Amino acid sequence: MKIPVTLKVNGETYDLVIAPYRTLLDVLREELQLTGSKKGCDVGDCGACTVLLDGKPVNACLVLAATVQDSDILTIEGLAQNGKLHPLQEAFIKEGAVQCGFCIPGILMSLKALLDENPSPTGEEVKAAMAGNLCRCTGYSKMFKAVESATSGLGR
Amino acid sequence: MEQLTIVGKPVTRVDAEEKVTGEAVYGYDLVLPDMLYGKALFSPKPHARIKRINTEEAKQYPGVVAVITGKDAPWTHGESIKDKPFLAQDKVRYIGEPVAAVAAMDEDTAQAAVRLIEVEYEDLPAYFSPEEACKPGAIPIHENFASYRKFDFIVPGSMPNVCEHFKLRTGDVEKGFREADLVLEERYYVPVIQHAAIEPHSSHAQVDPESGRVTIWVANDAPFRALHEISEALGLSQEKIRFINPLQGGGFGSKGGLKVETIAVALAYHTKGKPVRVKFNREETFISTLTRHEAVIHIKSGVKQDGTLAARQMTLYWGAGAYAEKSPTVCIRGSLPAPGPYRIPHVRVDGYAAYTNKPVAGSFRGYGIPQGAWACEQHMDEIAKKLRMDPVELRLKNIFVDGDLAYWGEQLHSVGLKETLIKATQAIEWGKPPGFPASQLGGEEARRLKPNIKIGKGFACISKPTRTPTTSKAGVLVNSKGEITVLAGTVEIGQGCSTILSQVAAEELKVPLDKVRMAPLDTDMIPFDASTTSSRSTYHMGNAVRRAAIDAREKLMEMARPMLEAKNEELACSNGKVYLKDQPQMALPIGDVVRRKLGNDGIVRGDASYTYEIGKDLDLETGHSDHASAFYMYATQAAEVAVDEETGRVRILRMSAAHDVGKAINPLNCAAQIEGGLAMGIGSALHEEMVIDSQGKVRNPSFLDYHLVTSLDLPEMIPIIVECPEPEGPYGAKGLGEPGLAPTPAAIGNAVADAIGVRICDLPLNPERVYWAIQQKRAKGSSRWLTEVA
Repeated sequence: MKIPVTLKVNGETYDLVIAPYRTLLDVLREELQLTGSKKGCDVGDCGACTVLLDGKPVNACLVLAATVQDSDILTIEGLAQNGKLHPLQEAFIKEGAVQCGFCIPGILMSLKALLDENPSPTGEEVKAAMAGNLCRCTGYSKMFKAVESATSGLGR
Repeated sequence: MEQLTIVGKPVTRVDAEEKVTGEAVYGYDLVLPDMLYGKALFSPKPHARIKRINTEEAKQYPGVVAVITGKDAPWTHGESIKDKPFLAQDKVRYIGEPVAAVAAMDEDTAQAAVRLIEVEYEDLPAYFSPEEACKPGAIPIHENFASYRKFDFIVPGSMPNVCEHFKLRTGDVEKGFREADLVLEERYYVPVIQHAAIEPHSSHAQVDPESGRVTIWVANDAPFRALHEISEALGLSQEKIRFINPLQGGGFGSKGGLKVETIAVALAYHTKGKPVRVKFNREETFISTLTRHEAVIHIKSGVKQDGTLAARQMTLYWGAGAYAEKSPTVCIRGSLPAPGPYRIPHVRVDGYAAYTNKPVAGSFRGYGIPQGAWACEQHMDEIAKKLRMDPVELRLKNIFVDGDLAYWGEQLHSVGLKETLIKATQAIEWGKPPGFPASQLGGEEARRLKPNIKIGKGFACISKPTRTPTTSKAGVLVNSKGEITVLAGTVEIGQGCSTILSQVAAEELKVPLDKVRMAPLDTDMIPFDASTTSSRSTYHMGNAVRRAAIDAREKLMEMARPMLEAKNEELACSNGKVYLKDQPQMALPIGDVVRRKLGNDGIVRGDASYTYEIGKDLDLETGHSDHASAFYMYATQAAEVAVDEETGRVRILRMSAAHDVGKAINPLNCAAQIEGGLAMGIGSALHEEMVIDSQGKVRNPSFLDYHLVTSLDLPEMIPIIVECPEPEGPYGAKGLGEPGLAPTPAAIGNAVADAIGVRICDLPLNPERVYWAIQQKRAKGSSRWLTEVA
């Protein structure tokens, strides 16, 4: 059985017909070809699929697509605006915070949610905001630095 | 040396932008037109004969295209020993071994059909410890081992289930023990852990029904080696096989060899030309890809009163798991330097790689060095304690320096070890009382109220060889716009090779970095490279790209000579231009040189190949070689820890990591590699362990239960780059990727022993183990703690 579902992703509206048990992650990746949200575990442990639902970070693998038709969904593909990278993206490049990059979309989305709520987080707040996102390459420390550099560059 | 313009600079990564925008397409993201979806059935038995497989119901399931078993894929493979079937043949050897596979119109259908396959097994006795598996009388896990095709250097020896016996014989250890003032013997254990790259494993494969050509899309770290292995397995010439490498979301050694690839290829032979994608989920990645070798290590040393090492004997049992994969070479290259980076006149090492009925162990960042170091470096501290010597002083007395003859018969040069030792220990204020800021434990008040918190410091040293001899080839293309394309078979696994190699090409062609791009990796187009392993790429491929770029530059200068009306004048190249050395205004952009000579579509190509020619294999009887490794990597890491004696929890307060990289081609990337290695090492020290029960089942195949370090778990990390140049390396560079985690657990182990006064010989140092060690010390006054191996 399939049902009609309307999703609003990165400001665009998509009318889809999907099975009701499909997760937001699978629909983003397979129906919308938005593969920036990564699948590292599919059970909510790794955070690589983090997207924002009305500004709140969620694991897209734990959300049924059909249940979020009223939400604004923001994925990594929507983070840069009008061809201009988000300060977090700039800072991640500049500070060398990216290695294999597989966890990066999820981490950037978690951090975007943090900065939207709290533009000058403490180091501890940054760590806590990223605690649900696993990275196996970097040891996180260059990411912490990147957040520092992004928040100071945001004009505060 | 000429002034370097781009090499040595902390430039940002060339691949970072596509990764922060989500545009980067990884192997796990790849969708091919008309693709089918494959899933496998995995063995639920650790060791059993397959009596019967019934696939009839699965074949009837709507949407299923093919259902196959070992009978439909009658091939075996293996890098060093051809022991592993594409799908189980007649028997299964571990829980998680692929037994059958389905290709279907979508993944759900494939999975549903897999559940309909019935298999009847007859249990066989199983072994879960490498030491047990090779005891006399053990039944063989591979009955036909003798008939398998193997590398020439494999020495299985006479014990059951041993697929490699490495021997090192130097001097006479018995004599050394007799001459020693102190003889100390210990046993250490390192459990199975996993690479746990955040991208799980996947592979796509397609077989062209007309030409028989096999194409495989996989984020493999050694596509040319994988191609060779597939070619040998299928009996197909290498021209009929093509590997295309999508981007890899981390590997750390796990994405070498063939695992999911063989399932995809086997299915692709039954899909009438349609490509098949097989993706492992996280649980499947845990149980059915690769793990790091568990190791049981016996170490015995004879030492003089003044701390001089007289003799060392080591016996290492490496748990290979059910198939050999890279076990023979892990056993060889992990056992060889296991006695440590020290001058020791009498050394005897026996390394045994033994089959067990556990998941397959393979290459893992560090390639055997972390296990040896866990034993050796803690043993060194025990020696220091017995001699009442400062552990730094004990190391300095014995440590490798330039000109030393290593115990494997090689004269060493460019040894930066001592500098790493001094800098790493200084960084944590070695010799001074615990100097941590009290705030880290919750302030002075908290500290006063917590007499149960004990502070300690420790460190560990390592040296690591690289795969030798090996070859890297490269091409460098220059077009009429002055743009450079580098053809190199090094895989971007996250380590930053695309940036490093771009820097090398830019340096030699004197162009800005943004003029250089890396060609995608496709074995049809790209010249041969041995592998992206063993920290070999900066050195080997760096040399190859450098020479290819110089080749291209010389061709450009030759072409420019008539254009600049130069006769015997010397030409030079900088800022993307060729010019007369004495009249720099007589200059031509390199793109113009190409265009004027070859037209708008013209391309100038430089080529080169690099092999460390004098590298020699180890002698099979003595383990000796006078050039065993193209270069050696040296490192020391030091830790300050706080141990809560009430809970057994270890907290690392700060940790330094000093690595001799030869020359940092990109200091930013070097620091990133060191920090990442350190974080992985900390995980393996404190909590990582694949818990495998007495029936061979992995009990924690998820990130919920297998704990990676998170953003909350890490201490202040102090990466320190030491540059002791390697004359043969590009600009003096050695390698760096692997050693980052090698000394980490031993350094932390030494710090924990310093803190609580008890030596813990098994990893990981999780709260439970540390707590019981403290309890045992209190009850029995014992200063040693060892848990029994399964």
